[in-house]
Parts: sequence; structure tokens; C-alpha cells
Amino acid sequence: MSGSLHDVKNDVWMRAVIVSVILLFVGAAAYGAFAVGVGTVKKNEWDAAYDDYNEAKAHLDMLVESETDDPNASFAEQKAAEKAVDEAYDAKVDAHLSYLTWVTAGKTILVMMIIYAAFYGISGFYNSIQPEEEHDDHHHDDHEEHHGSASPILMAAGLMFFMIGFPGFVNTCKSLLGLDYSAEMGDFGMSIVGAAILIIGIGNWWNEDLKGHQEQIATSAPFQGQDIRKAGMWIFLISETMVFASFFSSYLRMRTGWCTEWAVNAGKCDLVDTQTASDLLRHEVGTLLPGAINTFALIISSYTIVLALKVAKDVNWEPSKNALMAKLFPTRKKAVRNYLIITLALGSMFIVLKLVEWSHLIAEGFTIDTQAGSIFYVATGAHGLHVFIGLLVMLFMIFKADVLENGYDEHNGQGIEYFGLYWHFVDLAWVAIFPAFYLY
Amino acid sequence: MGEHKYTGPIAGLFQKMADLIGKDVYYVNFLILMFFTLFEVAAVFFEVIPGTDIEITRTAVWGVLIVVGIIKGYGIAAFFMHLKGDPFIYTRTALFPVIFAALMLWGIGLSNPAGIDQLPAWCTPNWDYSYVTE
Repeated sequence: MSGSLHDVKNDVWMRAVIVSVILLFVGAAAYGAFAVGVGTVKKNEWDAAYDDYNEAKAHLDMLVESETDDPNASFAEQKAAEKAVDEAYDAKVDAHLSYLTWVTAGKTILVMMIIYAAFYGISGFYNSIQPEEEHDDHHHDDHEEHHGSASPILMAAGLMFFMIGFPGFVNTCKSLLGLDYSAEMGDFGMSIVGAAILIIGIGNWWNEDLKGHQEQIATSAPFQGQDIRKAGMWIFLISETMVFASFFSSYLRMRTGWCTEWAVNAGKCDLVDTQTASDLLRHEVGTLLPGAINTFALIISSYTIVLALKVAKDVNWEPSKNALMAKLFPTRKKAVRNYLIITLALGSMFIVLKLVEWSHLIAEGFTIDTQAGSIFYVATGAHGLHVFIGLLVMLFMIFKADVLENGYDEHNGQGIEYFGLYWHFVDLAWVAIFPAFYLY
Repeated sequence: MGEHKYTGPIAGLFQKMADLIGKDVYYVNFLILMFFTLFEVAAVFFEVIPGTDIEITRTAVWGVLIVVGIIKGYGIAAFFMHLKGDPFIYTRTALFPVIFAALMLWGIGLSNPAGIDQLPAWCTPNWDYSYVTE
């Protein structure tokens, strides 16, 4: 079984709405603290560093233009002024990047929390306005049969409409924000309708999954006797492998033609014609740190999801004798839920750090309109999107772990296992992306 | 997911380490992944081995990145994704796209015109480059 066949009461669904309000509050608090609070301080520091740089530069210009009687003294003074300009420039860049770190982190957390809240709250609200199900003996009698679901088709249709209108949706949003873009209300409406259908599909799927259903077993080769969902997940991962293989093959094709820092050092060519992201990232601790932390975060999150599954399947699970661990993971149900929450937090941190790192790269001129920038942002962005979609699924799993009477247990733990396969695949993809794009 | 004992030359080694420290194989795998990630970052970051004058050459970095990638990939796929212990059909399924990925890397990835004289002959597909040379 992959569920507990419980009726999920409307008051339970309303908890999803309450949680979404809390998520919005967290997002607003993070935005206020990071982007507005610390961001304002950092902006002032950046402005001050910018003024210092301009002053140092003006001083140097003045020295160059002026003539003194003592050429040696003039030369020494000019050298000192040049040094001061270089130092002021470095300070200005550091202050700018520091400002970007806090502002990007604050904005990213706010946007992520809004999406989490919309995903959680609207699905919860949609389900809470559904009539309570009557106790139906017939339904329970034949629950061993599989009930087909239209939800995936509904979600796919919603996504299609959303994407059809997406370019116009973006332009309309920019127009509404007062930027110089013309609103395209037709496309905007199409995207809104698509998003609504998508969310209804998600909400419906939540509802169906929470009620539980029979795990289907494959009846023919090559997966005979295996859970169909698990086989399906592996087939899905095959297609994902091909997606990432296409990124790597195009990267390799371009990379072999570039004269990079590596190629010059290896004696392959003379003049550097292409700067890769790794050229900007790998030389200093500060620039390499976000990518390195993200690598560790994904590995830890892979382990925490394994622990969630292990606890769910362990019928003899007992709280740890360590007081802190016992407090964090007091019961089996809460242990599974809390491991999932830790995984969610680590994945969210991954997204925040990735966008902070992107903001730094863009500020340093590494933009998407170059070959090197294009492949870097597309490949790492596609990976980040996979992480983010995984986080949305994890939100539902946390909800399920929280509201079902026994949460995830030995009967329905497969859900964590199959999601874990996806999550580990995302980790596996990063194992290849990190050295290829950040280190090499 | 199994509480069973892993066997085999590599998985057995993981199991022995787990038994040695009194933890499960997932914990050992986690530690190994963390260690090798640190090793990978350090190999790229440092130009000489810390505390010595021994230079870390580009070939060495390449070697480290590839070997560490294989070790980490094995650890994640074998233990976290349970391929070691699950029916072999899942391993076959996981390996199936590797053929196509390898073909893409070879056929597209190494097909850059610059590869005519800059890549070793063995890894350069025999494409017709006349459109470049003409």
C-alpha cells in the first residue's frame, strides 16, 4: 500500500493554509532582515567604497596632470596613488558583491516562500472546500483495485497552457512593475488559467495520494514482480540522464574549441579567448565556497532522505539515547517528518546559494550572452530547476508525513524511496556538474 | 531498503568499514562522499600539496576529478539508490542510457573542428571537416 486509506478532514487541509501563511511570514522576515536590513547597510558601504574609489581616481588623475619640480617625488606619489586606486577598486568590488549576497539571498528566500506558500496554501484550500467524503463501505471493500487518476493529465495540460503564455506573462509582469514593456493580457490570461489548472491538478493528486491506493506490480518482463512506480521512476531517470548528457556533450564540444586558461597552461594555445565560470570561481575560497557548500548540502540531503526512509521502514525504531537527538526526533512519525524538513532546508539553501553565486558571476561580467555563459547557466539552471521541483514534491511529503495518523511507515514508505531515487539522481548529476563547470 | 550485509569486492569493503565503526553502510557511504568532495575541491584549489613543494599537475587534477567522480557516483548509485541489493534489472536500466550518453559525448562532444589537430586521434570522430577547411 502506498497510503493509509484515511479520509483527510477539511480541518487538516486548513493546516496547509495556515502553514502557507507561516511560510509567507518567514519569506517576508528573511526579505526584511537580509535584503532590506543588512542590504541597506551593505548598500551604504558599497556607496562609500564607490566614493572612495572615485576620490582615489580623481587624486591620481590630478597627479598625472600636475607637474612638480621634483620628478622623483612626483613618481613616488603617483605610484602610491595608483596603488590606492587599485585597493579602492578591490574594496568597491568586494562591497558590491557583499551587497549582492545579502540582497539576492533575501529576494530568493522571499520568492521561494511565496511559491511554497502558493503551492501549499492553494492546494490545501482547494481540498478544504471539497465536501467531506461519506464513509463508503463499497469503496473500502474494493480498495485493492487501482483507481486511475486524471491528475497527471490535468497537471500536464495546466503546464502546457502556462508555458504557452509564459513569454507574454513575463512581459506583462515587467509592465505591471513599471518597466518599459507592453502588457500582453491574452498570454498573461493563458498563463494564469494554466497555473490554476496546474494547481487544481496538484491539489487533486495530493488528495488521491493521501487516501492511499494499491501498489501495482508489473506482470510482464523485464520488470515482472517489481513495483510499477519504481520501474517508472527508473525509466524517467533514463530520460533525465539523456537531458544532462546533452548538456555535457555540447559543453565538451565547445570547450575543446576554446582557448581557456587551462588550455594555455597546458600549451594547447597561446592567447586566452574564453573565460569560463570555473576561471572566475576556482581560485579563491570566497568564490568557490557557495558551490562547495552546495555540494556538501546535496550530499547531506541525500543522506537525510535515506535516514527518513530507514526510520519509516523500521518497525522497531526507538528514539536516540542522546538528549538532543531524542528531542529532535521524538517519535517515529516526527523523525521521518523532521528528516524531510532538514532535506527541504538543505535543498532550499542550495537554491539560495546558487542564485547568490549567479549574481556574483553576472556582476563580474559573466553573462548568458556568451557561449561559455550560455552553457553554464543552462546546465546549472536546469539542475537547479530539478532541485526546486524536488523541493515542491518534498513539501507534499512533509504534509503527508505530518497529517496521516502514522505518517510514513513500513506500509507506505515506498513514496520516500521513489522520491529518494529522484533526489539522489539530482545529487548524482551535481557530482558531474560541479567538477566540470566549477573546478575544471 | 535492506539491513542485509553487502558483499563483493567494493560493497564488501564499505560493509567492513561499517561493521568496524558500528554504523550502517549508509553512514559510511555518507562519510566517504564528504571526504572525497573535500579532496576534490582541495585538489583544484591548491597548486602544491599543502606543507610540501610538490606541484599538483593538471594531469593529477584530471585524474583526481575523474576518479573521485567515479567513486562518488558509485557510492550514490550503489547504496543511496539501492542498486546494490535491488534486482539486477534496475542496474541494467540505469546503465542503459550510459551507452547513448557515451555516444553523445564522443560523437558530439568531441566533434569540435578544433579537435582535428588538438585532440588525440583516438578520441576524434572521423567526421568530414571539409566545411571547415574549405
